[in-house]
Amino acid sequence: MTGPWAEALPWAIVLPLVGAALTPAVAVRHPRVSGFWAWGVLLVTAVLTAGLVSELVARGPFSYGLGGWAASYGIELRFDHFSAWVLPLVVLFVVIVPFSWRYLDHVMPDERRPPFYALLLLNAGGMIGFCVTGDLFNLFVFTEVVSLSSYALVAVGGRGLAAFAALKYLFIGAVSSLLMLFATAQLFVLSGSLNMADVSLRLGEIGGGTAVMVAFAAYAVSFMVKAAMFPVHVWLPDAHAIAPSPVSAVLSGMVVKVGIVGMLRIYQIYFGAEVLELGAFNLALVWLGAISIVMGAFFAIFQDDIKLMLAYSTISNIGYIVLGLGLASPYAVIGAAVHVFNHALIKATLFLAAGSIIHQTGFRTLSDLRGVARTMPQTSAAMAIGAVSIVGLPPTAGFVCKWYIALGAFEANQAPFGFALVFGALFIFIYYIRMLNAFYFQPPVHASVAQASETPWSMRGPVVLLASLCLILGVLGGIPLTFVEPAVLDLLPFWGQ
Amino acid sequence: MSSWWPGVAVALPLVGVAAVSFGRLTERWRIAALVVPAVAALAVALLIVGDVLAGRTPELFVLRMTPTLWLVLRVDAPGALYGATVAALGLLALVYSFGYVQRGPRWSRYFAFLMASFTCTMGVAYAGNLLTFLIFYEAFSVLTYALVVHEQTPEAIRAGAKYIAYILVGGSLVLAGILLTYFLAGDLTFVAGGFLAADAARGQLLAAFWCFVVGFGVKAALVPLHGWVPDAHPAAPAPFSAVLSGVMVAAGAFGIMRVALDVYGAPLVRALGVAPWLTVIASVTVLLGALLAIGQDDLKRRLAYSTISQMGYLTLAVSLLGSGVMAGALVHLVHHAFLKGTLFFCAGLWIHSSGVRRVRDLRGMGARMPLTAAAFTLAALGMIGVPPLSGFVSKWWLGVGMLQVDAAIGLAVLLAGALLAAAYLLPVVYAAYFAPAGPIAGHAGREAPATMLAPTLVAAALTIVFGLGSHYGGFPLQLAQAAVAAWFGGG
Repeated sequence: MTGPWAEALPWAIVLPLVGAALTPAVAVRHPRVSGFWAWGVLLVTAVLTAGLVSELVARGPFSYGLGGWAASYGIELRFDHFSAWVLPLVVLFVVIVPFSWRYLDHVMPDERRPPFYALLLLNAGGMIGFCVTGDLFNLFVFTEVVSLSSYALVAVGGRGLAAFAALKYLFIGAVSSLLMLFATAQLFVLSGSLNMADVSLRLGEIGGGTAVMVAFAAYAVSFMVKAAMFPVHVWLPDAHAIAPSPVSAVLSGMVVKVGIVGMLRIYQIYFGAEVLELGAFNLALVWLGAISIVMGAFFAIFQDDIKLMLAYSTISNIGYIVLGLGLASPYAVIGAAVHVFNHALIKATLFLAAGSIIHQTGFRTLSDLRGVARTMPQTSAAMAIGAVSIVGLPPTAGFVCKWYIALGAFEANQAPFGFALVFGALFIFIYYIRMLNAFYFQPPVHASVAQASETPWSMRGPVVLLASLCLILGVLGGIPLTFVEPAVLDLLPFWGQ
Repeated sequence: MSSWWPGVAVALPLVGVAAVSFGRLTERWRIAALVVPAVAALAVALLIVGDVLAGRTPELFVLRMTPTLWLVLRVDAPGALYGATVAALGLLALVYSFGYVQRGPRWSRYFAFLMASFTCTMGVAYAGNLLTFLIFYEAFSVLTYALVVHEQTPEAIRAGAKYIAYILVGGSLVLAGILLTYFLAGDLTFVAGGFLAADAARGQLLAAFWCFVVGFGVKAALVPLHGWVPDAHPAAPAPFSAVLSGVMVAAGAFGIMRVALDVYGAPLVRALGVAPWLTVIASVTVLLGALLAIGQDDLKRRLAYSTISQMGYLTLAVSLLGSGVMAGALVHLVHHAFLKGTLFFCAGLWIHSSGVRRVRDLRGMGARMPLTAAAFTLAALGMIGVPPLSGFVSKWWLGVGMLQVDAAIGLAVLLAGALLAAAYLLPVVYAAYFAPAGPIAGHAGREAPATMLAPTLVAAALTIVFGLGSHYGGFPLQLAQAAVAAWFGGG
């Protein structure tokens, strides 16, 4: 039984990809049109994904066979509860793109806009595809679409360091992609199928074995690199700090989550097959997550550049999510899954607010930006709300996740990690306090800061909207749970083995 | 009983926040937009007191935060009592601030944050479960930071850093305690007499209890967690010091009360065997705070140490788990708020009109600023516990309650605290009236304008009113007895 929206599932991927291909053509006369075009495409995609989510709420998960071929022979697209993540994802894109219209004035010449927006659409399309594909090979393809467009988006800012950061990102990303391709091939050889549900079924027949585990390990490492977890995080800070701010918001908020969603997908396959003992792996995740939290915060404290600070804070937050996954108790996993979205929202708020400040003043370090709250009160307030959200003070969006993951730690009988999480957040607050102190309570040192004006509304609107969402989702924390809970509870019986 | 009034009382000050943050109003209208909601909030708080005295429990389910947890306001007797205190002292401090806080770019910021923390403190008073309590508690703790560093002097920034470090660690411990409680009970709603099951794992019950006590103890200034208090008070503007000492430090003690009596319940606290330890900590706090106050030359710092000592009584009362002593503690919470408010208001008047911060520079102030000195003297005597002032009434009930539970040591601490209060407050009075006047520079020594003097005198007058009228209906004692009856069953 499928409703009208189920038929629209492939369009959610096709629209942004085709839109990306058409961008240079649309904007051939007036490069600035590309921004409005991209926004329009994303707006339509957002409506489409809203329809898909409504279908999911009404009738549960559904599939679409490309070209009319039945699943396991043809290519299957599958929209389940984890796929619902595409809606907030596209909505965030819809909010971020208007911000970029004016922001890009200082970043790149007009003629480079069409490729920029084409890359952004490609990135969005890739992530949507990644979330809804039911097929392992396409999972790899969409990962590559996301990764390649991300490398280019980092470099698009154009200065020498940007190219270097993009190259570093590319090298590490390429290794991760190779691992993923290897794992996909391995599973194909073992099971003779690429359809996820089918692979899961056949793995169950084969049983465990070293080869199956090697494929799992390769997937795990590959996705950890994409998610920038602690020992393999080295590509992230430079790439995210140097990219133009709207891109930083996309990369830090959403692209790193490809690793987390991918991890959940692989879990779905392996749990269905019941061939996996996760005990040791979970323990590793818990420790790596905890170390990520602390190390991310530790490095962030020593940064003077606000965007670099925010980039390190992403590592901490990925640590929360990974810790939650590793704890493997219902509350913890629910908290981790909710944080996938809430962190995207908060980090987008912070990066866009930071971008506004950099755009208006021309400075990007804390010591230069002293006193900026006087001249840019609304943007600074948004930054402050983002800061208390990411620290997880109630009643903000960050608190909901912290609450669930810490509760999950008690549930999993790992109380020390619960305490570590609660106090790790304090550690994180140290550098945000430094930021707020500099912005609010220190006199300006530069004339351009003292005379800065607020951003135009096309930039301020998105920032204010995102900041208010941080508060709204704090008090209405139940909303994302309705999507996450069924998906997590489906998986959980297999998790803690 | 479902009622909108608690929500209205909590939300009203936000009107003021909006008016000074966003509105392009003239100064006259801004002041009106601040004062009118504050007066209205006080009126609503008093209305709620009436409701609670009539035996009703107004509650408002605001939001469903997670599938199982609501943001809920529910006003019981202690909540109504604390809420009305917050509203009244908040209004006095607001009016006082118009005279004290200098015009300029920081003016709006000060009032926006003052009103926002006013909202959150009301929320703490009316919170119906631990999560709601935590939300408002953390929010006002963080918002208050902007008020502590308001002067932006290096000392203020340092005091602010110390404050926020202490408070956030405390807040995190409270959060850990709440998480453990939710894990153990699956619920967080306050129930008079407690909701935690006595058969839960003892280790976890103990861990959660100490998380709460240490976490709230930071705000309640229990020794040795009091480090931020003597630095934050002198650094902050005087009207805010009054609020900080009067109701915000009390929020920590209020939290300990909530946890001991509405989460654990007296029998469980007794069974856990933590009460004697708490008694020791509280007694040390009372005595050490008072001893340290004696040596301070900075008047506001001396008063800050006095707050540490006086707030120790509340924790001491909780630790004794007697009905009479808890009634005394609740009354003391209210009376102390106005006494300490008066003292800080007077200290602020001296700073404002003559720049005098040190006790030894107060010489001759009794003649130059007679009204201020009189108000200070009155509040000082009240704080010491001279009858018939309000401080006497609360200490009387504390003392009687202590005898009911055979806590002779508690009584000794109480009396020693009162004696020491005389030792640190009377020298100030002596200096103001009797010490030979020294040379004072410039224009020093005229009474402050009425906007500042009036709240001071009202707060001082309340000292007498609460002292003389304590037994009439509607005064704190009646509410306190209702609260105690719910906690201890008919006591």
